[in-house]
Amino acid sequence: MIEFKNVVKSFGQKTVLNKVSFKIERGQIVFILGISGTGKSVMLKNIVGLLTPDAGEIWVDGVDAAKLSEESYGPIRKKCGMVFQQPALFDSMTVFENIAFGLRKHFQLPESEIKSRVLKALSLVNLDDIGERFPSNISYGMQKRVSLARTIIIEPEILLFDEPTTGLDPITTNAINSLIQDLSRRLKTTSLVVSHDMNCALAIADRIIVLDRGMIVEDGTVESVRNSKVPLVKDFLAEV
Amino acid sequence: MVFMRIKVLIDDIGGGILFLGQIILTAIRTPAKIDLTLEQIYKVTAQSFATTAMAGFFVGAIMTIQFTMQLNEFSALEYLGGISTSATLREVGPLLIAFMLSGKVGAFTAAELGTMRVTEQIDAIRCLGANPIREIIVPRFFGIVTASFVLLSGGLVLSIIGGLLMGGLFAEVSFQEYVRHIPTLVTMPSIFNGLFKSFVFAFLIATICTYRGYTATGGAKGVGKAVLQTAVACMIAIVLSDWVTTVFTDTALTLIRGE
Amino acid sequence: MFVDSIGLILIQAGKTLADFLGMLKETFQALFRPPFRVGLIIQHIEFIANRSVGIIVFCVSFAAMVTIMESSYHMKLVLQEDSLVPGFAALLILRELGSVLAALLLTSKIGAGITAEIGTMTVTEQIDALKMLSINPVQYLVVPRLIACILSGLALAVISNLVCLISAMGISVANLGMSTGSFLLAMNRFVIFQDLVFAIIKGGVFGAVIPLIACYWGFRCTAGAQGVGQATTRSVVTASVAIIVLDFVMSWIFAHFY
Repeated sequence: MIEFKNVVKSFGQKTVLNKVSFKIERGQIVFILGISGTGKSVMLKNIVGLLTPDAGEIWVDGVDAAKLSEESYGPIRKKCGMVFQQPALFDSMTVFENIAFGLRKHFQLPESEIKSRVLKALSLVNLDDIGERFPSNISYGMQKRVSLARTIIIEPEILLFDEPTTGLDPITTNAINSLIQDLSRRLKTTSLVVSHDMNCALAIADRIIVLDRGMIVEDGTVESVRNSKVPLVKDFLAEV
Repeated sequence: MVFMRIKVLIDDIGGGILFLGQIILTAIRTPAKIDLTLEQIYKVTAQSFATTAMAGFFVGAIMTIQFTMQLNEFSALEYLGGISTSATLREVGPLLIAFMLSGKVGAFTAAELGTMRVTEQIDAIRCLGANPIREIIVPRFFGIVTASFVLLSGGLVLSIIGGLLMGGLFAEVSFQEYVRHIPTLVTMPSIFNGLFKSFVFAFLIATICTYRGYTATGGAKGVGKAVLQTAVACMIAIVLSDWVTTVFTDTALTLIRGE
Repeated sequence: MFVDSIGLILIQAGKTLADFLGMLKETFQALFRPPFRVGLIIQHIEFIANRSVGIIVFCVSFAAMVTIMESSYHMKLVLQEDSLVPGFAALLILRELGSVLAALLLTSKIGAGITAEIGTMTVTEQIDALKMLSINPVQYLVVPRLIACILSGLALAVISNLVCLISAMGISVANLGMSTGSFLLAMNRFVIFQDLVFAIIKGGVFGAVIPLIACYWGFRCTAGAQGVGQATTRSVVTASVAIIVLDFVMSWIFAHFY
């Protein structure tokens, strides 16, 4: 499904990804953990071409994404849904238009179908009756959920989450985590979650990858990570 | 709707004047931090000299091109140097260079102060028991007034050079002929007029940008908004005061001459 | 040391210019590729022209008054009489002030706004979100603004010059003791059709420069509270300098066609 082969990415003097290799199978929920600034978000953006690696290969469903040009990322970006660190809702559109935007772009659907799908997506993230409001008029937690709805409405095969719960209160955090789990199971998507929340990783992940200074220091199931000897992972576990 | 906007406008002008009063009072009551002010003068001048010099140069050049065409119709090309220099010094130069400065210095300072405000740096200074007006605003205010005045004057000098160059290249007027009429047409009052205008513009830019930056609210967006408002307000203030100073100096000169 | 830093500045400037030209190329290609978002263009024209026409009218009328007073001063100095002031001032207004002042005002009113808007979109990852939906940000954001701004620039140049001339006439009647007839007569002696055409061309060119530079700095906006402010400042300064330099170049070229 997704495979990294010796991916290197640096910004100026600083190397954020140093020969990273791993392979993710279909249908898994994979958490990528690490402290801030270790190249977790960079990794996600490399998959969909928002950044391009300096060296190495990134295979997504048999296509080497690292070799594509800006115009030819279309199919991969349609296949991958990305939930950004910030809500990244379009300020100039209502919540409804934000969610419908991708549908209108990718599918030719009658207006009634669009409407019912948007409402369904909104209720999936437990939001109703806010379709006509503007992003600036709803709370941050709501914005995050709307951005989740905007991503899942085009039914991507792969979901990429960039710190989905950072900056949220514990209750919304729990809600988002169960949404991620629920969606992945129900829609049978592959989910790649970048996070520094060990708690929810232990709760919903099939597999956990720990990054430190651009390198993978731990990679395994929840059980194997619990018994890890790596100091950074132990520190993470101590927080639980 | 219109009344609301007028009310906001009057509020802003009043707020700006009160803020200016606060700056001046603080500057008088507490000993000014000379070293900080000098640092600001250096910073602003170094940052903006290239921009204003370039603007001045091209403004002078443009004016010479225009006057060449016009004076040709009057067959009075020998006055080119005098007229072009005089018009640039008295009016067009200060106006356009000040426009440039309102973007370069005004917007920059508003962005800097606005960032300090929304990232709570200004509150942090207050919590440390210091007066932010004295620590941050007063040095910047006087720094900007002084530096802007220097920059405007420098831009005017460059505009003369730009005009001179175009006189040779475009109008094909020799250097001697171009310079010959400058002393007869550019009088002392004209030079004073240009410098006075420059001072007024510098003062207005400094007041507006420190006020707008200091009162910014609302995160990164708020900083952007403060910058935008500063740029627009500076330009309006410059155009308005340009007219006021012209009328003022005109009347003053007439009174002095006793005509 | 000194030479080193100059070298660094030059390299930086070169990179920026190459970057800008890259965006220009992309914009140009996107200009002729569907979808053509006519609705968006009209929305932007409404926004750009509506938001700036008030301040432009206000500012240029004051500038026109000053121009008349200054022209009269200089006329008296050289020709000892000021009956030809209208012609002289009208030429100065049409050839320079009308278009340049309108463009500089447009830069800070609209250009800065565009940079702030797109800069905010960049730092809040909205641009990335657009790319994820396979929408080319240049085509979606820059092209409609570019077309709208060119059209508004043309219209605003006409309005600005007209207002300038009217208020020049007003002050001549009030201050110099002229009649409207003698003003128009004196103006008519000097102003030719080319003046109007060139003024409008200038308006269009400035209208194109402003959104291009504004969008460029918006896309390059960096995160953090100072990012948007910095980008906006850069946009205003670069666009103002570009306008003055382009005005110089155009004046020189147009001078050969009178």
